[in-house]
Amino acid sequence: MNLLESIRVAIESIRSNLLRSILTTIGIVIGIAAVIAIVAIGQGGEATLMGEMEKIGSNLFMVHIDWKREEPQTGTEFLLEDVQAIKSQVPEIKYLAPYAYNYDSIRGTKKNKQAQIIGTMPDHAQMGNLEMLQGRFFTNEDIQGRRRIVALDEALAEELFGNTDVIGKQVVVQGNSLLVCGVIKEEESFLNMEDSKSIYVPIRVWMDIYPDGFIQSLQGSTLEHEQVETAMNKSVTIMERRHQAKNVYAGTTMAQQMEIASKVTSVLTLIVSAIAGISLLVGGIGVMNIMLVSVTERTREIGLRMALGARRRDILIQFLIEAMVLCIIGGIIGTILGVGGAWFIAKLAKWPPLISWSTILMAFAFSAGIGILFGLLPASKASKLDPIEALRHD
Amino acid sequence: MIKVVNLSKTYRPESNPVYALRGISAHILPGEYIAVMGPSGSGKSTLMNLLGCLDTPTGGSYYLDGQEVSQLEADQLALVRNQKIGFVFQNFNLLPRMTAQRNVELPMIYAGLPTQKRQERAAEALEKVGMANRSDHHPNELSGGQNQRVAIARALVNAPAILLADEPTGNLDSKTSSEIMTLFDDLHREGVTIILVTHERDIALHSERILHFRDGRLEKEENLLSTPSRRDDEQ
Ligand SMILES: Nc1ncnc2c1ncn2[C@@H]1O[C@H](COP(=O)(O)OP(=O)(O)O)[C@@H](O)[C@H]1O
Ligand SMILES: [Mg+2]
Repeated sequence: MNLLESIRVAIESIRSNLLRSILTTIGIVIGIAAVIAIVAIGQGGEATLMGEMEKIGSNLFMVHIDWKREEPQTGTEFLLEDVQAIKSQVPEIKYLAPYAYNYDSIRGTKKNKQAQIIGTMPDHAQMGNLEMLQGRFFTNEDIQGRRRIVALDEALAEELFGNTDVIGKQVVVQGNSLLVCGVIKEEESFLNMEDSKSIYVPIRVWMDIYPDGFIQSLQGSTLEHEQVETAMNKSVTIMERRHQAKNVYAGTTMAQQMEIASKVTSVLTLIVSAIAGISLLVGGIGVMNIMLVSVTERTREIGLRMALGARRRDILIQFLIEAMVLCIIGGIIGTILGVGGAWFIAKLAKWPPLISWSTILMAFAFSAGIGILFGLLPASKASKLDPIEALRHD
Repeated sequence: MIKVVNLSKTYRPESNPVYALRGISAHILPGEYIAVMGPSGSGKSTLMNLLGCLDTPTGGSYYLDGQEVSQLEADQLALVRNQKIGFVFQNFNLLPRMTAQRNVELPMIYAGLPTQKRQERAAEALEKVGMANRSDHHPNELSGGQNQRVAIARALVNAPAILLADEPTGNLDSKTSSEIMTLFDDLHREGVTIILVTHERDIALHSERILHFRDGRLEKEENLLSTPSRRDDEQ
């Protein structure tokens, strides 16, 4: 008996017991739908995350004190001179800025507010592609001149003053009054779960406000993505030389962080799909049960087919294909539901689902595989029937 | 064509043995028309199952077309059933979800015939049993006699060496029975070898030779060809 004929026979017998067949496949439908939806949402989320990080810049890097070291060493703090030295000695670096921050209270005309007070240089704004809503970011001249000006986030301006029209207005930090020179436009981003509310202070002024504070890290970027590793390593080396301290500084690139984030999301996707996969197994067991019932019910049919010349293997293949066709039909319905579900959930979560052909193909192969796996027992039971006993069965 | 030597079948040989056949020897020639009679439980169906290669004997030998089939493996038996045997059952044994046409195609599916050829031959077979105009009907849309015709078409479609019919008219009224017997007579005239089990003498009288069974033994043979009046009926 050829394959096409087996498939035809399988479809005939599935159709003759339509309701039961549909009920049989529900487990498979749900399992496949769940896997497809989860993978689609997971991959969509990952792609969106990667896209956002890419936008922030895959050519960004950071040099910081190695977090694995417990004892802070004196004389290893980042200095403004380090920034100058690194910038002039590492040609790959396009922008480099110190990064110092403190969480502190800020007073505006309307309200007091706790916010991130960041001390940095104009390069920071260049690297982060900060867009100005009002005014300007501070310049290198402002830093040299220790000018007491600040740029702040749109959302923070709103909270401190009630509006964003605040150029020339005054904020007070630790008793120091500072003039607003610019308002930074809020960036629409999936990564910003809430609006960022920071205030940016020229690094020298920041150090005046917080004499005990220190620069936590240097943040830099290169022109080309390929140069980032080199730039980071060179920066670390220069820091080590200038401070005569080995194994104190460490570097991280955005690319590394993206990799970690991507790993985390794919592990999460994997875990959840594994759980969904269990429902597929349960579905497979359901198929096996019904197929076993079906074999018993159709004992006479099997006996007759044997009397007419069916070999054991013909019967085996017929029931295997029937289980497979059942599961594949379940898989198709599950895929449709899964894709629909993914769109729906993604719409709520505001990121596009990623439904790849490989996912659908895998779901297909998986449901066929389940059909074979769980069809094997009923099919072999059918094929081992004794022809006369089967014919006599009623 | 068919030669059985001391053929025996014992069910449940270990625990509670039933001696269904106790050494049967017989010879059946190509084109012969044989009736098997005997009381219930005398081993008629057991013999048919053995002749039809559905079961294997516990003793003796069975030669079909010169081939010793009692020693064959399951797959080889399936091939013999497919190619050399046509079964007609008391309860028709048609698959209810399939049309008459598809039911007749079944043996050819296992013979591996291409679709086109199958359909042609199934149509011919249905034509032969007078069911050509019902080929797309399902068994529940047909009468008993019509179903048995379809079953006979199915039995003939692979051009088997023998047609085995175990009480083919057992479920039919007498009028329908005689129609079916007319069909068997026609097939016999065309040269098909027929072995038919029946309880009714009227039916058995259509054959050339009656084998009488009792308690698993071939009690007596009755040769109907020796009756001159019947011989005159034949052309
Ligand atoms: N599968 C079986 N297991 C045990 N005994 C059986 C089986 N099939 C038939 N028999 C017994 O074998 C004997 C012959 O049965 P069977 O050939 O069916 O008789 P008939 O067809 O002449 O009525 C009977 O006694 C019957 O009970
Ligand atoms: Mg019987």
